[in-house]
Amino acid sequence: MARTEAAAGLRPGAWRLWALLPLLLLIGVVALFASTGTSLLDLVGRAPPPVDQFDIRRVEFRPDEIRIRVTNPQRPKLTIATVTVDDAIVPFRVDGPRELGRLRSSTIVVPFQWVEDDPYTVGVTSSNGIQTTFAVPAAVETRGASSKSFLGYALIGFLVGVVPVALGLGWLPSLRGAGLRWITAFMALTAGLLSFLALDALAEALDLQAGLPSGFQGPGLILLGVATSYLGLTYVSQRFSRAGRREAGAPLEGVALATLVAIGIGLHNLGEGLAIGSSIALGELALGTFLIVGFMVHNVTEGLGIAAPIADGARVGLSRLAALALVAGGPAIVGAWIGGFITSDVLGVLFFGLAAGAALQVIVEVGRYVARRAPGGLRSGYVIGGYLAGIVVMYLTGLLVA
Amino acid sequence: MSGPTHAAMVGGEVPAPGGPDSLDALLHPPKPLPHKPGRVREYTLVASDRQIEVAKGVFFNAWTYNGTAPGPVIRATEDDLLRVNLLNGGSHPHTIHFHGIHPANMDGVFEIVEPGSSFTYEFPARPYGMQLYHCHSTPLKKHIAKGLYGAFIIDPPEPRRPAQELVMVLTGFDTDGDGENNFYGVNGPAFYYAKYPIRVRRSQTVRIYLANLTEFDLINSFHLHGDFFRYYPTGSSDHFEYTDTVMLCQGQRGIIEIDFANTGRFMFHAHQSEFTELGWMGFFEVED
Repeated sequence: MARTEAAAGLRPGAWRLWALLPLLLLIGVVALFASTGTSLLDLVGRAPPPVDQFDIRRVEFRPDEIRIRVTNPQRPKLTIATVTVDDAIVPFRVDGPRELGRLRSSTIVVPFQWVEDDPYTVGVTSSNGIQTTFAVPAAVETRGASSKSFLGYALIGFLVGVVPVALGLGWLPSLRGAGLRWITAFMALTAGLLSFLALDALAEALDLQAGLPSGFQGPGLILLGVATSYLGLTYVSQRFSRAGRREAGAPLEGVALATLVAIGIGLHNLGEGLAIGSSIALGELALGTFLIVGFMVHNVTEGLGIAAPIADGARVGLSRLAALALVAGGPAIVGAWIGGFITSDVLGVLFFGLAAGAALQVIVEVGRYVARRAPGGLRSGYVIGGYLAGIVVMYLTGLLVA
Repeated sequence: MSGPTHAAMVGGEVPAPGGPDSLDALLHPPKPLPHKPGRVREYTLVASDRQIEVAKGVFFNAWTYNGTAPGPVIRATEDDLLRVNLLNGGSHPHTIHFHGIHPANMDGVFEIVEPGSSFTYEFPARPYGMQLYHCHSTPLKKHIAKGLYGAFIIDPPEPRRPAQELVMVLTGFDTDGDGENNFYGVNGPAFYYAKYPIRVRRSQTVRIYLANLTEFDLINSFHLHGDFFRYYPTGSSDHFEYTDTVMLCQGQRGIIEIDFANTGRFMFHAHQSEFTELGWMGFFEVED
């Protein structure tokens, strides 16, 4: 550094000040362009007119009332002019501004005696006459954030998240009796199911982002989520490794590895809880007993994934196990709350990105562990079989909730 | 807001653009003149591109005759010599095609009027009845949907009985260009006559010159509440039907005569509920 500064003839530390130079130049050029920009655009043709589409984020059915959450996804301002329900103009009021700047939102409140379970199409027309419609397959009353619904979403999250993970941890005594060959096979199974979850989360994220207005830059949001959780967990595992006073770069094992697995699974369950919560809130998901059971069966293997690394290490207390179950399953509760009360596809994309990145990082950690501990290494039949079994188990139990 | 209301309800809730008299020129036709063969009746129509408010807060880039959609009411008595000057101040070629009997070179089909130029249509007005006019440039659908049309009344040699005369041109506007109308109305804006009921007296016949010029939809209709009326198809004979509902395809028109039996507020609207709830409804305020 000092050598470079000397070469450039700068005083030490002055590079920070000089770093501002391109920024100042940029401001100057932008100002110059902004003052003459439109005439420049005329040389190559005119900018196309605005699309004037609203983004209808959420339609809620309350007693004698429909609430429509709209966002302006485009650069030019949008004004809410008329509102229709099933192709009929209806009176409405707006909570928030009628004229929406870029990415600003308002809630349109329509007094309306809707019919339970009937499909509805709501439309919002801008002052330029462009109508944006949103179809609701079946009108179901949206529960507000009451203590009852708060408890309800918490219970759903608890049932599909915490309970199955806790049950899966019950494999621990059995695993302790198994040989290293079997334990590493189950670790490979964990990697398999995490691969399944990672791809699943990534697919969800890509799917969700496709519906986002381009202003939100969905792909970038996914990358941000994936990179944040992957690198965040890499940093955490490094700290665990140092805390365990192992040699630098050694793979994690025992409770440390189990904790990492639990965090990875927890982030996935956050996304899963969010998806379930918002589906219920929007009336798209009839959450019957069967579906709850399905999610429990689907998620019980997640507990196995946490139990496997512990089985190969020192004994741990019940409270530590409970904490791990909470880390892995608890986020489903938080996710269900967010999904049930906020329903933001932007958050959904980010969360599924986080889940994918976390799962990928944990696969790497588990892989390093298996490579080191498994008799025969990564190429042993137990490991390959375990990994494939993990994918098959997730696929088959996934049929219950698909 | 006290409880659920609907746009069809009267009062401050009705969303309609304009003031109480902004459609007067379209609703009230010029006075009829006595029969005098060869008399010249001259009108000037200027075609222009103009943004008009078709529903409360919704602005439509229309093509208009004299700034409104529908355009002005043209009226003549049978055997008048009608002279209509078209000045094209718009950005597209336009014409005026009149319904009625006239020479082939006055039909508004072949004599395209380019932007900046003009053309004068000249022909004897006949036959008597409710006629109409519209632009016949291609693409035809676009030129009509954009608002280039209007009412054209030809009075019979023997004057009709005195009446309270009204003109109603049924209109629709496709504001988002998807080939379906977003708003419907009479003489333009959605819900206008719901917000500003038409005041009529019970003591005198109400005569409505009715024409359907909505694009995209196969039919439109007129339905009156609380009474019956005589409907003279095209208004060119004494033949009438006694009814409270008539159906019209695009270009179909006629004359309605109502002798109100009662006073009070009576609704009129399209008997396509969808059109009604998208703006095509209004009220008569019948007074003694």
